[in-house]
Amino acid sequence: MATDDRTDVLVIGAGAAGAAVAWRLARAGIGVVCLEQGDWVDPRAYPHWGADWELHRHTDWSAEPNVRRLPQDYPINDTGSSIAPLMYNAVGGSTIHWSAHFPRFRPSDFRVRTLDGVADDWPIDYATLEPFFDLNDRMMGVAGITGDPAYPPKSPRQTPPIPLDTLGVTIARGFERLGWHWWPSDSAILTRDYDGRRACNNCGPCDLGCPIGAKASTDVTYWPKALAAGARLLTRARVREITLGPDGLADGAVYYDRAGNLHAQKARALVLAANGVGTPRLLLNSRSARFPDGLANRSGLVGRHLMFHPYAMVRGVFDRPLGGHRGPIGCSIISQEFYETDLARGFVRGYSFQVARGLSPIASANGGSVGDRVPWGREHRRAYDDRFDRTITVAIIGEDLPEAGNRVDLDPTLADGQGIPAPRVSYTLSENSRRMLDHGIARAREALEAAGAHEVAFNPLLRAGGWHLMGTARMGRDPATSVIDAEGRCHDVPNLYIVDGSTMVTCAGVNPTSTIQAVALYIAEGMIRRRA
Amino acid sequence: MKRVALAAQRDLLALVLDTLVPASGEFPSAGAVALDHVLAVAATSLELESRLARTLQAVEEAARVDGTGDFARRGVDDRESILRRVEQSHPELFEVLVRHTYDGYYGHPTVIARLGLEPGPLHPRGHQVETAALPDLARVSARGPIYRQT
Repeated sequence: MATDDRTDVLVIGAGAAGAAVAWRLARAGIGVVCLEQGDWVDPRAYPHWGADWELHRHTDWSAEPNVRRLPQDYPINDTGSSIAPLMYNAVGGSTIHWSAHFPRFRPSDFRVRTLDGVADDWPIDYATLEPFFDLNDRMMGVAGITGDPAYPPKSPRQTPPIPLDTLGVTIARGFERLGWHWWPSDSAILTRDYDGRRACNNCGPCDLGCPIGAKASTDVTYWPKALAAGARLLTRARVREITLGPDGLADGAVYYDRAGNLHAQKARALVLAANGVGTPRLLLNSRSARFPDGLANRSGLVGRHLMFHPYAMVRGVFDRPLGGHRGPIGCSIISQEFYETDLARGFVRGYSFQVARGLSPIASANGGSVGDRVPWGREHRRAYDDRFDRTITVAIIGEDLPEAGNRVDLDPTLADGQGIPAPRVSYTLSENSRRMLDHGIARAREALEAAGAHEVAFNPLLRAGGWHLMGTARMGRDPATSVIDAEGRCHDVPNLYIVDGSTMVTCAGVNPTSTIQAVALYIAEGMIRRRA
Repeated sequence: MKRVALAAQRDLLALVLDTLVPASGEFPSAGAVALDHVLAVAATSLELESRLARTLQAVEEAARVDGTGDFARRGVDDRESILRRVEQSHPELFEVLVRHTYDGYYGHPTVIARLGLEPGPLHPRGHQVETAALPDLARVSARGPIYRQT
């Protein structure tokens, strides 16, 4: 096995969080090597350049690794989960195929135990993270408009909001009629040229990647700057395990290169950024005499408290074209009318509505996220035409509370292409989350009908909706009830940091990437401070 | 898994596709524009090819049960009725057939053009979006903060 030169910090994973940390550390003059099991995505390789672009959504560009099955993917046993985990393995990680909806967590999201008596408070708060939110916004480039009363005042957005177009104006009218909160979404998609990147051309399917770099995947935001600052990025480098020195500290990682050869990369400190499934998988695969149950797992909590954001999808059909195929697919409007706890609703915590764009031709036929396929036969033409470009889908994104039984562990038989044990995901939707989604479905129906929908259908739980992988190496002050401390260090291995969605104590009712990256930058700042 | 020659059942498959999505007005039938796609995806996977072949076999068997045994000779009503029975008796197989038929049909440039969209790659052209001024946010703003102070 070849041993590479020792570096200051070894980052594992080049996605949303790993890229941010690598950039921040490299800019501070710290030596950084990043190992990424995927590759760079050539902008010319995105499906948008072909006439058959939509067919790729359920094959080689599926968000589900179990469907995609690329060499750089690893299999996941998700038969015990009502939600399928989604991810992408590449430089940029899952920001390659995310929709770039970019809300922040709210102040109350960090204080749920104090405010609502459930789960746990975070050891950090919104005010602590605010400068890192702002820094991250500048790095990613955010389209939006300030003044949203659902949040404390924010710094100016980098570009104006994404145009609502006919679809957005239509649903906004529904929220207006009901007197509910709504706001044009903060989106990490440029509507003007910014920082050397081009503005969005409204092509639509951001979930298949962005060929012009208008969407903020970290291969076009953080990584060019990180590399310019001296960070080294090794692609198609799949980590098998983290190694320990005789002092009990992490001293590096063993990884396979693209040819399948084993290497040892030594480092003074390690940062795990392999997402909420990949990080616990790696820790559990890093067993030793000192840590027989997995690295940094004396608490037994590595892999536990897995949170997804359970999604319910509600679709209204309107009697006129809405132009829904135009514009970024995931970003139009957010409503947080039912975000904070109101126990009269029958559940604790709350949810957001995310109004996405309409459906493309094939997705319309197959029912999109609601899944009610257009009927076949002689009625097909009429049924399809009644629906195509005339639908608005409201996603209900609920705050999932951490439950110890929802977890990632190692599958006893399944392994990846290198023979490394694969993760197994066990997840059951809680009763609180179920009631929350049911409430959201009923309210979304109201909003759609107020906007003019004449027919409403819904999917009570989107199975292929596990975009957000959180909580499996949670942050906290007590080593008995958490895996990392408030500075991102593993309680058991203080030079081993975790910065991805695994760290999240609770998951709020909004998309997490903005907050994951802010936390990652905050942790990086602490590393720099301690080094100085 | 043994390879089945789905292409040999091309005529039957085309008729089945025509029944799933018949021609209508300016829109072609699925047999006319989605057949090549269905055959192509079947050729990429033995499992998929086998599923589709079993679906066609079920169609033939269903046709045999209550008539001449020849799906091709049936009228439109009969064909649809036969497929509905197959859908009931073999829901998982039938779902695969419908999904790939819709994929091929609504991915075809002719159909996309009929829908009023521009067929072909999305890039570099993108789409024009109405960039009208934002709706008035005054009512929402006037509520004041709706987040909980901590």
